[in-house]
Amino acid sequence: MPKGRTLEPRSKALARQETISAYLFLLPSLLFFITFVIVPMFMCIFNSFFDYTSTSFSFTGFDNYIRMWKDPVFIKALKNTVLIVIVSVPAVMIFSLWVASAIYKMNSFALSFYRCIFYLPVVTGSVAVTVVWKWMFNKYTGVFNYVLGTTGVIDQNISWLGDERFAIWCIILILFTTSIGQPIVLYVSALGNVDKTLVEAAQVDGATDMQTFWKIKWPSIMPTTLYVIVITTINSFQCFALIELLTSGGPNDSTQTIMYYIYYVVFKLDQFGYGNAMGVILAIIIAIFSAIQFKFGSQK
Amino acid sequence: MSTVSLKNVKKIYEGNVTAVHGFNLEIADKEFIVLVGPSGCGKSTTLRMIAGLEEISEGDLIIDGNRVNEVHPKDRDIAMVFQSYALYPHMTVYENMAFALTLRKVPKDVIDKKVREAAEILGITDYLERKPKALSGGQRQRVAIGRAIVREPKVFLMDEPLSNLDAKLRNQMRAEIIKLRQRIDTTFIYVTHDQTEAMTLGDRIVIMKDGYIMQIGTPQEVFDHPQNIFVAGFIGMPQMNFFDAQLNKNGSNYTVDVYGVNVPVDEEIAKQLAANGAESQPIVLGVRPEHINFTQGSNKSLKGKVSVCEMMGSEYHLHVTTADKDVVLRVPTQDLPKEFANGIPYGVEINYEFRPSCMHLFNKETEKNLI
Repeated sequence: MPKGRTLEPRSKALARQETISAYLFLLPSLLFFITFVIVPMFMCIFNSFFDYTSTSFSFTGFDNYIRMWKDPVFIKALKNTVLIVIVSVPAVMIFSLWVASAIYKMNSFALSFYRCIFYLPVVTGSVAVTVVWKWMFNKYTGVFNYVLGTTGVIDQNISWLGDERFAIWCIILILFTTSIGQPIVLYVSALGNVDKTLVEAAQVDGATDMQTFWKIKWPSIMPTTLYVIVITTINSFQCFALIELLTSGGPNDSTQTIMYYIYYVVFKLDQFGYGNAMGVILAIIIAIFSAIQFKFGSQK
Repeated sequence: MSTVSLKNVKKIYEGNVTAVHGFNLEIADKEFIVLVGPSGCGKSTTLRMIAGLEEISEGDLIIDGNRVNEVHPKDRDIAMVFQSYALYPHMTVYENMAFALTLRKVPKDVIDKKVREAAEILGITDYLERKPKALSGGQRQRVAIGRAIVREPKVFLMDEPLSNLDAKLRNQMRAEIIKLRQRIDTTFIYVTHDQTEAMTLGDRIVIMKDGYIMQIGTPQEVFDHPQNIFVAGFIGMPQMNFFDAQLNKNGSNYTVDVYGVNVPVDEEIAKQLAANGAESQPIVLGVRPEHINFTQGSNKSLKGKVSVCEMMGSEYHLHVTTADKDVVLRVPTQDLPKEFANGIPYGVEINYEFRPSCMHLFNKETEKNLI
């Protein structure tokens, strides 16, 4: 086989050349990624083992990790963060699936209109959105108190963001409205892509609309659901801007989240090591949640 | 009992586009009906209306004496095999086949028995735990059929079920559908664009074009007595040859003048022409390739030059040019003269004759058969 023998080294050289070109194309983004993601990530892990402030830098081992479990504010922040995730992730998923199911069969004009409406909070700057919400929640001039007051539901105005009982729920509500845009768009697209003949086959097989949805469409859109859950979970864990703009973690740490507490510890208290340790724990928690979701989603 | 009756059924889409015009058909219990026609003729739309997947714009669909126009597909007691198989990708073969029965809350042991029986019939028992993506096209097709037969439906609908298979598998599955039909013995409505499937499977064939029924009849009827030029050209392989000709009436005798040759019309055909009051007129003469004889030459024969000679094994398909027109002849290999035992070369002039009893005479204007 002389042809084969002569071709083999040539094809190997070609493959090597292609590999080199591929790496050269990757190099700029790879350098950027290493410099701004990988290096800070490892620095974060490294610093978490130090008592690192603006005046000191000494190795303390796992002290920061032990300290956070004795820190009542961290525990409260962790509880609040988990509450936000547990409430907002299912709420976002169910609501966006419901809206998408209702609108995906509409004509293109109506579909674009609804997609635009629900996506608006995503493209609007979070500061602008939060300012409007802050006004709506205002104790004296807010629309919520006005409506509830005039309809006789409440006797006295409520300080929505200043009352421990309500503040976290207000945060969850705003997070919910700013989180549903992308899942709705994704679900509309996923539902539109479900093989029509599968739905028709199910109808002929005797499935009701509800059975067709749960037994045929739902498994078909499972990859989208998994993506929505993971993205919403990560966003909820990392909820920061709303807290900073509305409550700064108050009142009495009732809206304190891990993300906001990290910011507070690092930038207000100058405790970089302790903040980094909490960042590592937050990353681990998110990774565990995501792994569970992936495991569950891929089994489905 | 599972009769199906379509009375003046129409399908009109938005923008006043009519896909099916006044479709009338009575399907007897346990009959195998094939809807056949070219793409866009409305055959699949008609099937989908029977299934309940398309709304019926006008007319009545009656199954077993009950009007079912507004009945949901799930309540029509029909099963359907789709062109794309439509197997649920997240379910195993077993789950796919059991799905309809599970929805009807049939006891698990009964479902198991039925699924395994159907799997045995179709030879897919070994694949019951596999997902559809791990099956070949032929196996998927069997699962799709299995999913339908476990239901024991009143009516079995099939929408081009073999069109995604390769030629060999298609022939094999066609034979299996014939066997299956003998086993399950229910009413079948089968859609195809393949005339071989139509001829081999159907008790009766409905030939459609542009939303209209062109002819309904047994395979032999539509082959022997096509009602119009479309059916004559659609059924038969190779396609029927058509010639512009002149029908001449001389008393009770008829002759056909084709390219200056006077061909006498068969006595039986002449009788029917006379009974129908046919006069001398320009016509389209249709003759099937197998009804043209290769001859030595006579006053009834036409001449033509061979342009292509296709060896088909037991026969040759001769493409002959007569007056700039391509005429196809099917000539059994043993009928060729010895000197042409290996085929007739390009340009050789040959003589051929039409078999008088197998000529089809069509009105040039209406394209309808004169008989």
